[in-house]
Amino acid sequence: MSEKTEVNDIDRSLHEEKNVEKHRYKSAKGLTPEVIKEISREKNEPEWMLEFRLKALEIYKEKEVPTWGADISDLDMDNIITYVRPDADLQSDWDQVPEEIKDTFDALGIPEAEKESLAGVGAQYDSEVVYHNLKEEMVEQGVVYMDMENAVKQHEDLVKQHFMKLITPNDHKFSALHGAVWSGGSFVYVPAGVDVNIPLQSYFRQNAPGSGQFEHTLIILEEGANAHFIEGCSAPKYSVNNLHAGAVELFINKGAKLRYSTIENWSRNMYNLNTKRALVEEDGVIEWVSGSFGSKVSMLYPMSILKGARARAEFTGVTFAAEGQYLDTGAQVIHDAPDTTSTVNSRSIAKDGGHAYYRGLLKVTKNAHGAKASVSCESLMLDNESKSDTLPIMKLQTDDIDIGHEAKVGRISEEAVFYLMSRGISEEEAKAMIVRGFVEPIASELPLEYAVELNNLINLELEGTIG
Amino acid sequence: MYNKKLVDNLTTGQSKLLSSRRRESFDFFQDLAQGDYERINLINYQFPEYSPYNKEYLKEKKGQAELLIKKMTDNLNNEEEILNYLDQFKDKKVEKGNQGLDPKYLAMAEAFYNTGLFIKVPKNVELKLPVEIFYQLDQENPVLIDNNLIVAEENSRLTVVIDYRMQDQNVEAFHNGLTRVIVKDNAVLNIVKVQRFNDQSDNFDSNISLVSNQGELNWIPIELGGKNSVTNNENTLMDDGSRASISSVYFADGDRKMDLGFKMNHQGRHSSSEIESKGVLKDRAQKVFRGDLYFQKGASQANGSEKEEVLLLDKTVDSDSIPALFSEEDNVEGEHAVSAGQIDEQRLFYLMSRGMTKAEAKQLMVEAAFNPIFDKIPLNDLKGSVINDVKTRIRS
Repeated sequence: MSEKTEVNDIDRSLHEEKNVEKHRYKSAKGLTPEVIKEISREKNEPEWMLEFRLKALEIYKEKEVPTWGADISDLDMDNIITYVRPDADLQSDWDQVPEEIKDTFDALGIPEAEKESLAGVGAQYDSEVVYHNLKEEMVEQGVVYMDMENAVKQHEDLVKQHFMKLITPNDHKFSALHGAVWSGGSFVYVPAGVDVNIPLQSYFRQNAPGSGQFEHTLIILEEGANAHFIEGCSAPKYSVNNLHAGAVELFINKGAKLRYSTIENWSRNMYNLNTKRALVEEDGVIEWVSGSFGSKVSMLYPMSILKGARARAEFTGVTFAAEGQYLDTGAQVIHDAPDTTSTVNSRSIAKDGGHAYYRGLLKVTKNAHGAKASVSCESLMLDNESKSDTLPIMKLQTDDIDIGHEAKVGRISEEAVFYLMSRGISEEEAKAMIVRGFVEPIASELPLEYAVELNNLINLELEGTIG
Repeated sequence: MYNKKLVDNLTTGQSKLLSSRRRESFDFFQDLAQGDYERINLINYQFPEYSPYNKEYLKEKKGQAELLIKKMTDNLNNEEEILNYLDQFKDKKVEKGNQGLDPKYLAMAEAFYNTGLFIKVPKNVELKLPVEIFYQLDQENPVLIDNNLIVAEENSRLTVVIDYRMQDQNVEAFHNGLTRVIVKDNAVLNIVKVQRFNDQSDNFDSNISLVSNQGELNWIPIELGGKNSVTNNENTLMDDGSRASISSVYFADGDRKMDLGFKMNHQGRHSSSEIESKGVLKDRAQKVFRGDLYFQKGASQANGSEKEEVLLLDKTVDSDSIPALFSEEDNVEGEHAVSAGQIDEQRLFYLMSRGMTKAEAKQLMVEAAFNPIFDKIPLNDLKGSVINDVKTRIRS
């Protein structure tokens, strides 16, 4: 029997620098209408937003915590400080960002990335955006990329028309919570025909112990527009359980194309209960690239609603569950128009007692004749302490369709290792190559600018002691 | 209706231990809330009024002298043996995935069964001819609750065919069955079940098995009838080299609704399993396919595969697939695949270019998909009549 491959955890110290807390304002623990009113007053929000928040709070109080999937009984909602505002006003110039916040961002390589090729940076520190910039040529073309707080005031009509229309407070307990306490996040608007050829990147982190993060991302692509949005998360580690319940709403109009990339690397005490949805009109395209590496518990199922004829969705995801992690992720696709197509490609790795769970949904309604879909899930188990589960649900309601699904679970193939060794490659290197090859589909989808994060998350982890 | 009095009636003249087992199940039944089958919209289902099943259902044959066959409802003298076998199923439930039929239905079958057989093939006995059991429901016998126990002792070999059918198209019949199966070391057991109830009838059927060292169990469930049909088939591969396979065919047309569950629990090393399901949905038919492969810790070098193919013949069908792959062991190979869609246009076109009508071509394609599984039916008469049934229904 051959030795098992050792894949070590990456050195997380880079991502886990903590700054001494320094806040201007911190809301009282627990959730009451008064807290919500305070949040809204602080933000100088229009009246309708406050009403929306209060309504969502009521729904939140009525909804039960979901009982399927992850065990989230450790989460004490009454003790989560829902709103923490960092000690910095919105900055348009990097030099004016306070030193200690800058230090953390510097460690993560944000300014360099911006200089290189990023069109804009919206970095969220705790609950509010502290840094924002967008290249001038984009502004001239009418592209809007700003923090959600300001968008509510400056683009009130657009926001009012789209905000929490795709994900409503009624969907589940955490979307209701999000509706009540949302704070920060990004707003992107790309006018018809405009191609934002450089990725828009937002980077958010959490820093206060016990604080929740409820950022809202709203992206609207008008007809024929094209954009790439990158979301990345990395949070310092604390002993208090942390909650992330963000919402991402993507509106992709006729012929528009959006790529939404996420590298999620929350610290390992985080409950990541994020909701993401895309609504795709005629000939529109949504591409999800998703890497789930961090957090203690994740429940994340990005949904693509293919509403217009010939709309297309692609999902490429890698989940890496290591010690103490339960990562429950998967793609949901709803085909609701003729000739829509979707491809889901998911890879998961479980090691050191980690639990990776793929939970997906594919629904083809009676409107979707001519729909084509394929779902492929592969799981790699690196030891027998870990668990790996796959549950791809399919619901088909018409006949003229072509649906295929495949799933596999197993460990590194001994034949493949043997073959590589017969070619003169050492056993260790052969195994490392196979593991790298396994995550290749997502690695190749990520933009180069993300090399800093990617290198830390995938290559270092895999090469670590194997190579 | 399903009360203490009925249990007292049913236990009159029945052997002591099995009677007390009925009573225990009744206590359990009473305390349970009844679950719904939401995916096929079977909500607040009411059990129909009890009635006995008085017809003979076992075809006696020569050459089966070595076989032990007893009716569970009789006053048996080997009941301790039966209870010892049944006790092996205690605590065998696994947490993950599909949990089978609602416990209320299982308790109901164990408390109120009106038929059922204990079949045992002793050690080292190989039987060439299959055991035939046939239930024909009608006006006088509209309720069938069968509780079966089939045991294949070490090194034995047996095939059992159970045929559930109806002639009368107007009777609203009800079937709730429970079949438990034990396959001992090196034994091979094949079980063929054919369900052809009419469009007014409801079918509930639970099948639970335990397979030991190098034992092999092959299921051939063929689901063609019923208004609502909810079945489950759960197999635990307990030891080294235990094997199980399921070759399922279903044909759902009209307003038929089916919820079919299949599960393989791998516990033994080198255990292997295969689930193959081929189905056709037509008209407004609705089906749910649940297939679980569960590799429990310790099942190293196990392998399992699951394959579902479904042909969708009309716009108004509704097809749910819930395949699951659970793994707690790294050294395993598990895979599942689903394909769903219409009959391949090109093949259809080819057949039509050869002079076939579209209906004929479709029929041929469906037959081509089903026949490899129908070929596993060991009785020619039954096979012929099943093939005929499918033929007529595709055309209609």
